[in-house]
Amino acid sequence: MMNFAALAFGCAFGFALSRARATDYDTILGMFRFSDLHLMGVMGVAIATAAIGLAVVRRRARHAVLGGTIDVQPKPVQPGLFAAGLVFGTGWALTGGCPGTVLAQIGELKIYALCTAAGILAGTYAFGMRSSRRAAAASRIAAPAHASRAT
Amino acid sequence: MGGWPFWLSGFAIGLLVVLFAWIAGKAFGVSSSYGSVCGVVSKNSFFKSRPFGERWRLWFLLGFPLGGLLSAALTGRLQPTFRLAGFEALFGESVVVKGAVLVAGGFLIGYGARWAGGCTSGHSITGLAQGSRSSLVATLGFFAAGVIVTQLLFMFLGGAA
Repeated sequence: MMNFAALAFGCAFGFALSRARATDYDTILGMFRFSDLHLMGVMGVAIATAAIGLAVVRRRARHAVLGGTIDVQPKPVQPGLFAAGLVFGTGWALTGGCPGTVLAQIGELKIYALCTAAGILAGTYAFGMRSSRRAAAASRIAAPAHASRAT
Repeated sequence: MGGWPFWLSGFAIGLLVVLFAWIAGKAFGVSSSYGSVCGVVSKNSFFKSRPFGERWRLWFLLGFPLGGLLSAALTGRLQPTFRLAGFEALFGESVVVKGAVLVAGGFLIGYGARWAGGCTSGHSITGLAQGSRSSLVATLGFFAAGVIVTQLLFMFLGGAA
C-alpha cells in the first residue's frame, strides 16, 4: 500500500512540477537571471501552503492515514552545508534541472534529461562511496586494528 | 504553454506536501530516491541504511516520469525532443558537448544533494516550510551558486547563439 501511495504521489508531484513549468529550462534560468520570477512565486506559495498544512497535520494527526508515524522532521545542521549547497546550485544552473524535475522531464520525453539523471546517480554514488570510506577510516582511528572487533 | 499560474502551481505542490505527510507519513524529498537506486546495484552500506534502504522511495521515483508524461500528453505536447530550449543557445548543438555538460552538471547535483542531505524538494520546500535552519543554509547555497553560475554562463557564452 505504501509503495502504491508513493507511486501515486510521485506521479502527482511530477504532474504538478510539469504544470508549474519547473521542467522548463528557460523558466529555471529565468529565475536565476531574475528575468522570470514565476518559479520564485511558485516556491513561495508552495512553502507557505506546506508550512500551514504541516502545522495543522502535526497538531491534529497522531498517525499517518496509512499507519505509522508522520516522519517529517527538520534536517540536521552539519558542517559544509553551504558549500554543499553551492555544489548543488552549480549543477542546477548548468542543467536547468533538479532531482525531481529531471525525472518529470524524462516523462515529457525530453531525451537529454536522461544524461542529467545519469549524472545525478553517479554523483550520489560517488558521495556514498566517499562517506563510507571516511566512516571506515574514522572507525580505524577510533579503534586501532588490534583492539577492534566490532568493525 | 499549458502551464498553471504561479499561485495555483505553488498551492498544488504545497498541498501535495501536506497530503503526503498526512496520508503516507513521508516527507517530500526526491534526491534520497537516487540513493535507493544506488542501493539496488551497490552493496555499499551507505545505501543500505536509512533513508535509502526504504523501498517506497523507488516507487516514488518511478512516479515522476509518469506525471510528466501525463502532463505532456494532456496538453498535446507529447513528442520526443532532443532540445532543451535555451540550453542550445548557451552550449551549442554538439551532442557530445550537450551530453557532457548535462552529465557533469548532474554529477554536481547528485553529489551536492547527498552532501547537503537534500535537494530543492527536501530542503527548499519541505525544510523551509518547517522553518528549518539547515534548510535555509542549504537553500541559500543552492540559489547563490545558481544565480552566480547562470550570470557567468550568459556573460561568457550568451553571445554564442
